[in-house]
Amino acid sequence: MLTKQEAIAEYDFAHQAIIPDRLTRKTHAGYLTAADQILQIYHNHIGATRRHLHALVQRQLQSLDDCSSVRMAAFCKLLDDASDYDNDRGSTAATLRRRVFTLAAADHPLVQYPDHLFASDESVVKQKIAAQLGRPWADIEADLFADVIEFHRLKQAPEPAVDGAALLRRYNVAQTQAALYGAVEMTVLAKRDFKTILRYAKLARLMHTITRQEDGYRFRFNGPASIVRATRRYGVAMARFLPGLLAAEDWRMRAIVIGPLRRRFALQLSSRDGLRGEIAPSDFDSELEETFFNRWQQQDTAGWTIQREANVLHEGQTVFMPDFTLQHPEHGEVLLEIVGFWTPEYLRDKASRLAQFRDHGRILLAVTEQAGEVLPDLSLPTVTYKTKLLPKAVLDLLASIP
Amino acid sequence: MTTTDPSDHLASLDHRHRAPVRLMFDQGTLLLSGVTRQFIERVWPNDLWVYDARGANTSVDSELNTFQTQHWRTDAVLYQRIQCDLDQSLANADWSDEVPHWHNVTFPRCHLHPPREDQRDAINAWLSTRRGVVVMPTGTGKTEVALHAMTRLDAATLIVSPVRDLMYQWHTRILTATGINAGIIGDGVYRVSPISVTTYDSAAIHMPRLGNQFQCVIFDECHHLPGPMRQDAARMSAAPFRLGLTATPDRRDGRHVVLDELIGPRVYTQAITAARGKTLAQYDVHRIAVHLSDDERQRYEALGRVVREYIAERRQAEPNYDWQTLCSESGRDPQARAAMQAFHAKRSIEDRAEEKLRIIEDLFRLHAGEPVIVFCGSNAMARDVSTRFLIPCLLSHCRKRERQEILDGLRTGRYPALVANRVLDEGVDLPEVNVAIVIGGGSGTRQAIQRLGRVLRKNAFGRACFYEIVTAGTRDEQRSRDRRKDDAFKKK
Repeated sequence: MLTKQEAIAEYDFAHQAIIPDRLTRKTHAGYLTAADQILQIYHNHIGATRRHLHALVQRQLQSLDDCSSVRMAAFCKLLDDASDYDNDRGSTAATLRRRVFTLAAADHPLVQYPDHLFASDESVVKQKIAAQLGRPWADIEADLFADVIEFHRLKQAPEPAVDGAALLRRYNVAQTQAALYGAVEMTVLAKRDFKTILRYAKLARLMHTITRQEDGYRFRFNGPASIVRATRRYGVAMARFLPGLLAAEDWRMRAIVIGPLRRRFALQLSSRDGLRGEIAPSDFDSELEETFFNRWQQQDTAGWTIQREANVLHEGQTVFMPDFTLQHPEHGEVLLEIVGFWTPEYLRDKASRLAQFRDHGRILLAVTEQAGEVLPDLSLPTVTYKTKLLPKAVLDLLASIP
Repeated sequence: MTTTDPSDHLASLDHRHRAPVRLMFDQGTLLLSGVTRQFIERVWPNDLWVYDARGANTSVDSELNTFQTQHWRTDAVLYQRIQCDLDQSLANADWSDEVPHWHNVTFPRCHLHPPREDQRDAINAWLSTRRGVVVMPTGTGKTEVALHAMTRLDAATLIVSPVRDLMYQWHTRILTATGINAGIIGDGVYRVSPISVTTYDSAAIHMPRLGNQFQCVIFDECHHLPGPMRQDAARMSAAPFRLGLTATPDRRDGRHVVLDELIGPRVYTQAITAARGKTLAQYDVHRIAVHLSDDERQRYEALGRVVREYIAERRQAEPNYDWQTLCSESGRDPQARAAMQAFHAKRSIEDRAEEKLRIIEDLFRLHAGEPVIVFCGSNAMARDVSTRFLIPCLLSHCRKRERQEILDGLRTGRYPALVANRVLDEGVDLPEVNVAIVIGGGSGTRQAIQRLGRVLRKNAFGRACFYEIVTAGTRDEQRSRDRRKDDAFKKK
C-alpha cells in the first residue's frame, strides 16, 4: 500500500466527489512501456542502493510529460514493495561506524587547513583509518550508512509475474486504497458474493450494518467509534478491505472521504469499473457442496431452485450464511446448511450459531453421519448423508415439512 | 450535572425488570446497555450517548451479541464522568461497571530525589485533581515530577512519549527509580504490563485494546497529542487519571485547547524566564552567517531564476497564479515540474552549503577539548557533517544500542562531539555539554526552544554557548529571524 505522501486524487468540488488517480491504456498509453522499463531497471540493478534506483526510475519517467514527482514516488514505492532489500539486520554498518569514529576520536578535529595547534589533516586521517581497516576509504565511506533506508541495497527484483500491466493494475488499486485512508464510512450494495465481502470486511476488523434489498444486500462498514463522531481512523481498514471487495462480483460501492477544508467527498466504484485485485475469488467451501449444487441444477427438483449463499442472517456483529437457499414459487424460501465433520470446535461453533439463528428462517440441516453423534440436538429438520449428499434426500425432507 | 430530582428515582425504577445495566469498554469506546432512551435523556440532557444498533464489536463477549439489548455508545475519555453520573442516579447494585481491567500496582522501592520546591508545587497541584497539564521549561525535571506523581498513585500507568528514544529513556528511568521493568508498546514490541511505556503513534493505534488496562496515563511533551489521529491516544482511553507534561503547551494551529478536554486544565505553570539562571545554565547566542561559494551562489541564483521566471510568465496570464497552483499543476505540466524541482534543489544548496562545514571546523578548533553537539536540519546534512569530521551521528535509523553507545561515549569523553537531527529535538537526556551548534533547520519556535533546552543544562563548564549558522542572503536567514521572535532567544 502507498503512504499518504504518494497519494494522488482529484477533488471535484462541484460534484463533491473524489477521483483517485487512474492510469488506463486509453488515457495514458505511454505508461505501459514505461512500467516495463522501470521494472527492467530493478532487474538490471541488483545490488544498487534504493536512492540510486529511485533516481534511475525518476529519470526514466521524466520522458512522460504528465508524470508528477508524486506519481514517480508512488511507482518507486510499489516497486520497492514487490522487491527485497538488504536491510543490514546484522548491524554491520553500525559496527563499522563505531570502529571508524573511535579511531578518529583521537585526532579530533579533522581539519582541512592544519596548523601547529591542530595538525590532523582530514585526508591524512582518513587514509590512516583506511590502512588500519585494510580497505580503500571510498569503500568504507560507501558502507558507512548502509543501514539508512535510502542506502539499502537491492537483493531481489520483483518476480517475473509482475509485468508492466500488473504494475499498472497495482498502481490503480493502490491509489484507490490511498484515497480510502481518509474515509469515514463505506457502503456496498451487493447482489452476490456476500460471503467474500463479509469475510474480508471482518478480516479488516470493520463493523457492519446489514440491510436486505430487493435483489441483494446493503452493507455499511465503519468502526466502533464512527457512530460517536466522524473519524478517519478506520480508513486504513477500508483500504485493506478493498482487494477483498474487488474479488467479488456484482456490487457498487460508495465511501465518504473527508477531503480539503474538512469537506465530505464521495468515492464511488463498482465491479464493472475494471479495477482488478490479486485475490482469487473464493469458491465453494468444499467439493461436496459444489457437486450437490451441480446435481441439483441437472435434476428435476419439483420446482425448487437453488442459490448459493444467497441469504445473510445477522444479529449484531454475528453473521450466519447458510450454504444454500432453496426457493419454490408456492412454498417460499428454505435455507439449507451442510454440516461436514471437521473438528469438535467447528461443530460447537456451528451448533451455537444455528441455535442463535434458528428462528430467522426455515432452516434444514444436512449432517454427515460421522458428525451426527457429536452435534447436539437442535430440533431442526435433518437429513443424514454418508459420502455424498443427493438432491433426492433433501427433496424428500422438503416434502415432509409443513 | 445530575440533580437529586425525584424523577431520578423513577429513572432507576423503569429498568428494574429489564436486562441488567452494564457499562462496558468496547474497542476504545464505552457501551451502555440495559437502559431506556428516557433514562439516557434524563441523566444526560446533552447528546452524550449515541444509540448503536450494531451491538458490540468485542468478539469475546458473545453473550452481548445474543442478548437483544439496546446499546448506547460514546467516547471512552468520558468514563470518569459517566461513572459518577451513574453512581448518582442508580443504586450500586443496579449497575455493573465492567470497564476497568486495570491492576493495582505497588512500588516495592522508590529511589527518587526529594522534589525541589517548584517540583513539589507541581506534584501537589496535579494530585489534588489527578487530571491536568503541568507546564515546566525543559531541564527543570518534568520526568521527576511525573515519577513522583506515579509512585504516589499505586495505579496501573501508561507513559506516552513522542519518539521511541524517549520511550526507552522512560523505561530506564522507571527501572532505576522503582526497580520495575516496564512493558514496552512500540518499536515493533508489544509487551503490556501494568506499568508500560509507549509512543504517541503506537498509543493511538493500540488504544482500542489498551484503553481499559491503565488507570493513569501520562502524556510526555503533551503538545504532540492534539494531532487528528493522535488524539485517539487520549480519547479512546478510559483512564480517570491523566497527567500532561510540556514546556511549550501552545500550538501554532491553536489545537492546544483540546488538551483541556483530553487531559485536563493546566494545573501548574512555570515560565522559562523564571527558570533561566536557576536551574538552567546561563547562555549566549552567537549567530554566524555563512556565504555560499561562488559556484553554489551561481547555481542558487540560476535555480531561483527558473522559479521566478516561470511564475512571472504564468502571472501575465493569471495574476493570481501562486505556489500552490504550481505544485498542483506539476503533475500535468513538465515546466511547472521543472520549477518545483529547481526550488527543491535551491533549498538543498542552502541546507548543505560547504561553508557551513568550514565554520564547524573553526568552532571545533575554538572549543577543542569541550564536548560539542551539532544539530542539523536534515539527515543528509547530518551525514555530511558526520562523514566530514568522523564524529558519530544520531539519526532515526540508529538502533537503541548504538544510540546508547554514542550518548555514553560523549558523556565519558570517548567521543569529542556528535551530530544529530530531529531525533534529539525533545526530551532525550543529553550528556552535559556547553557548546551547541544549530545548522539550518525549520522555523518552528517550539523545536528551537526544545533544542536549546537540551543543551543548556547547568554544567561544570559554567556558561553555555549557543551557535546558530545560517546561510546569508537566503531563506535560511528569514527562518532564523522567525526563531528569534520567542523570548528564549533574546540576547541579554
